[in-house]
Amino acid sequence: MKIRLPEIRHNRAGFEALVQLRAKAKDCLFDDIEVDMRWTNWFDADMCAPFGAILYKLSDRMNTVRIVNAPTSIDRILSKNGFLSHYGGNKLPDTWGTTIPYKRFEAKDDRYFASYIEEEFVHRSEMPKMSVGLVKKFRESVFEIFSNAVIHSQTKLGIFSCGQYFPKRDRLDFAVADLGIGIRQNVLRNAGLNLKADQAISWATEERNTTKRGRIPGGLGLKLLKEFITLNRGCIQIVSDSGYWAMEQGEVISGELSYRFPGTVVSIEIDTADKRSYKLSSEISEKDIF
Amino acid sequence: MKKNITLNVFEIVGSPLCVASDDGQRVYERIANAFKEERNVTLSFLNVSSLTSAFLNAAIGQLYGSFTEDQIRAQLKVKDMQPDDLALLKRVVDTAKEYFKDPKRFDRAVEEALGDGGDGPKR
Repeated sequence: MKIRLPEIRHNRAGFEALVQLRAKAKDCLFDDIEVDMRWTNWFDADMCAPFGAILYKLSDRMNTVRIVNAPTSIDRILSKNGFLSHYGGNKLPDTWGTTIPYKRFEAKDDRYFASYIEEEFVHRSEMPKMSVGLVKKFRESVFEIFSNAVIHSQTKLGIFSCGQYFPKRDRLDFAVADLGIGIRQNVLRNAGLNLKADQAISWATEERNTTKRGRIPGGLGLKLLKEFITLNRGCIQIVSDSGYWAMEQGEVISGELSYRFPGTVVSIEIDTADKRSYKLSSEISEKDIF
Repeated sequence: MKKNITLNVFEIVGSPLCVASDDGQRVYERIANAFKEERNVTLSFLNVSSLTSAFLNAAIGQLYGSFTEDQIRAQLKVKDMQPDDLALLKRVVDTAKEYFKDPKRFDRAVEEALGDGGDGPKR
């Protein structure tokens, strides 16, 4: 099977194109799947996370996936972040250091993921000069996203991540995708709510709501992320099942994609020039915690 | 009077990155064991650089399912935490208290959501 890939930007249209690709190929078994990028005139590198997740799901059905005809500029960036090396390409050195490499993790790899963020983002001199508070917030946010995937997704095929820094725009994009049961199913199973996919995402981002059950409480990760992105004036997009939910500058838009994503993607964009200290206006005493 | 103990989070986790729920579970087990022996615990976060709600929920939030608020307040102290980490811990604790106070919380949330028009909570 040959599939043409259009341009992939980290927006609703980009996710729509990826779920359409998956819908075309999802029934393939022991097939050769050729993703033709001849017409892909733009590819936001952080979208390698959901793209890689979809291709991994296809290869899990014993298909051989190949990526062909990538334009030179796209071939270069997807080689620098290591994505194409998963599909027979080479890994190129990232001279300017603007990529956070594409990686696949197992759900038990929390520590490996944390080391990857430290090595590929926090301790790299090429990465943006962000305030100490912002670096800490960004780091904690991506850990919260990964933890959310570990705790809620029940993924058996892994968790995929990738990031890209755009120095001229002072923007850093980062995405985490899993191949788990998705938020809609989680809300249905654990909260008994049969919501549309985009409504389920919206429900999960609200303060009092959590699908967490059992001895360990939950329900803060996505709320903390939302608060940080709002303060930073960045953007967060969540795709799960056929739901699309985005918040930019505090404004939320949501809707249904035409096909399902086979898991959940959380994608954030932060303003790296943000000078807020992220220090609290009033300090909490150690005596007032419990 | 039994001896108070200090638990060093960095030592238990073996890393400054306290992000995994499984690592939080290890901390929880140490605290719970000490509580069962009626020991007071001081939890030190010295040299910890990153914390997540997932870690703190497992390490500390979970205590509210096994011990009373009074017991936790009397027997547990934290030290060497940065102000924003203290703020995160406070939110985790408040969420945990609410979580364990009302075991039918989800059912009520469901009813409220459905009562809102039957299509889930409004933004």
